[in-house]
Amino acid sequence: MTRGGIPFVAPMLALSIAGFLVPLVVLAAFSFSDPAGGFGMANYVKLFADPLALQVLFDTLALGFKVVASTTLIGLPIILLFWHAGPRERSLIVFLTLLPMLVSNVVRTFAWIVILGRQGPVSQTLAQLGFIPAPRSLLFNETAVVVVLSQIELPLLLLPVMAVLSRTDRSLVSAAETLGAGPWRILATVILPLAAPGILAGWVLVFASATTSYVTQSVIGGARHIYLPQYIYREVGVLFQWPSAAAIAFVLLATTGIIMAAMAMLARHPRLASHG
Amino acid sequence: MLNRKLSRRSVMAGLGGLVAAPMLGVSRARAAGSVVVAAFPGSWEDAYRAAVAPVVKAAGTELVLAPALAQDQLAKLLASQGKPAFDAMMVSPGQTTEAIARGLIEKVDPSKLKNWSKLLPAAQTEWGPNVTVEITGFAYNPNLVPKPKTYRELFDNPVYHGKVGWVGFGSNTATLAWVEIAKAFGGSEDNMAPAFKILAEHLNKGAVIANSGNQQMALYQQNEIAVFISSVGNVANLKARGVPCEFAHPTTGSPALPVALHLVKGAANPEGVYQYMDAAISADVQRKLAQPPSEILPTNTDVPLTDSLKSFISDADIKNLIYPNWAKINPNRAAWSAEFDRVVKK
Repeated sequence: MTRGGIPFVAPMLALSIAGFLVPLVVLAAFSFSDPAGGFGMANYVKLFADPLALQVLFDTLALGFKVVASTTLIGLPIILLFWHAGPRERSLIVFLTLLPMLVSNVVRTFAWIVILGRQGPVSQTLAQLGFIPAPRSLLFNETAVVVVLSQIELPLLLLPVMAVLSRTDRSLVSAAETLGAGPWRILATVILPLAAPGILAGWVLVFASATTSYVTQSVIGGARHIYLPQYIYREVGVLFQWPSAAAIAFVLLATTGIIMAAMAMLARHPRLASHG
Repeated sequence: MLNRKLSRRSVMAGLGGLVAAPMLGVSRARAAGSVVVAAFPGSWEDAYRAAVAPVVKAAGTELVLAPALAQDQLAKLLASQGKPAFDAMMVSPGQTTEAIARGLIEKVDPSKLKNWSKLLPAAQTEWGPNVTVEITGFAYNPNLVPKPKTYRELFDNPVYHGKVGWVGFGSNTATLAWVEIAKAFGGSEDNMAPAFKILAEHLNKGAVIANSGNQQMALYQQNEIAVFISSVGNVANLKARGVPCEFAHPTTGSPALPVALHLVKGAANPEGVYQYMDAAISADVQRKLAQPPSEILPTNTDVPLTDSLKSFISDADIKNLIYPNWAKINPNRAAWSAEFDRVVKK
């Protein structure tokens, strides 16, 4: 960036410092304090010595990976459809991808209570087709959380990929066909490598959003599936253990940060970046 | 041109100002003549916005309602000691005891409340007026399950298995129920072990564990559950919306939960808080709040029970109310909450 451009980013920079960096430093300092006024690693030691906390951390990260895998599987056909579509169809696909984002996450989550409920269309259909003996609730399990989060987070994966593919020369596929490559080989050696930077950017967004999605995790998973955001809320709102909550929040930040940084580094790998 | 006018020095000054603003108390700036009060989200918030806010407004103060559950209110005040986010809180005895112990609220001056003398004696506390007594018991769907009579029955009778919703110790109503469940299975106000034991056994029988009372109500309306621990007010609210829902008093007595308004220490507008309290305990307001859909039990002696409220609570029920000992419950609540998570975690 040239020096002349700094004033234009100053408002965002100021907001980031005041609204994120300063509270983050306060939070970090808090995580090393204890109620008696001491300073040290006690909150972190307690956290890593607690089997429940470790299980919650593991479950949260596992949830993030499952949602990333699920959105990738669901998103791949849409990505291919976008690749082969003409300009008008591409606009329609982008519009349809953006459409769910116009409805609040909270509303979409509560809509899923109806869809996956005992009297919802999925359960009723399964019962009528004889797959289950009687309609039953499909809520309050991890599969339901993954399904709902996949639907909610899907646009975060698709939009970066669509942005990358929009700038890609489609004649590369024609060249591969001319050289004798079949459809699967073209997918594996041309389209996916071209889309890789977008896919990796999407994975980062989906992972970050899925692991921190308090409302969906708590409403669809119920109280028996505890993830870190609910765990932090309990420490703050019920137990009033803020130093402990700050330590958990930092562990969540650090673990998701490391994973996201790894994904970002992968996206910048010369072999992948060169395709973008 | 812009980069010449915005020098590095002015940009840094702007950044510094933004960072320093909260430290200088800029965040406390509020509209003149307004009072910010915390209220339970949902039906309470709606009812207070409709019935109390216009009366406070007529007295010259704008009432701003900040929806928050009782425990959340306490957490927010603890997080911002000296610079409270709201001027008054609405809580139950569990939180009142904590708020007093932690120095978060002030005693009120009854001479500033002209409706004070109209309150039931039990509703006149030195820390603020009680605006109602929430009576808790079983909310149930008569189309799906028989009327429950005891807490024990919800665990022992297979007809209820997979149809009862439960919430942890973050909720006052649920905490009272768990105390009663502990008693039913041989425990007490400070011995929760029997309740955890029966809960653990019950998890395999399809117990639905929700994260909050509001979440339970959403599940109830979708027929995901047919019974949940509730106040009379929530049942009245569901009935008013056409949802099949009835209230049943436990034969062992219904736990009662007074709801009090408190003046927060360091409130930006204490006089506004007194206007708000006086409006909330006035006969006109409580008469409105006693009507559907809120159906809040009045504490003003000039307000009679409505026929609808009488259908929920008889004189015999009122004599059978249970007022738990929060001094025994509070010290254990954090540990119980943590243990609850351990028991229910899959």
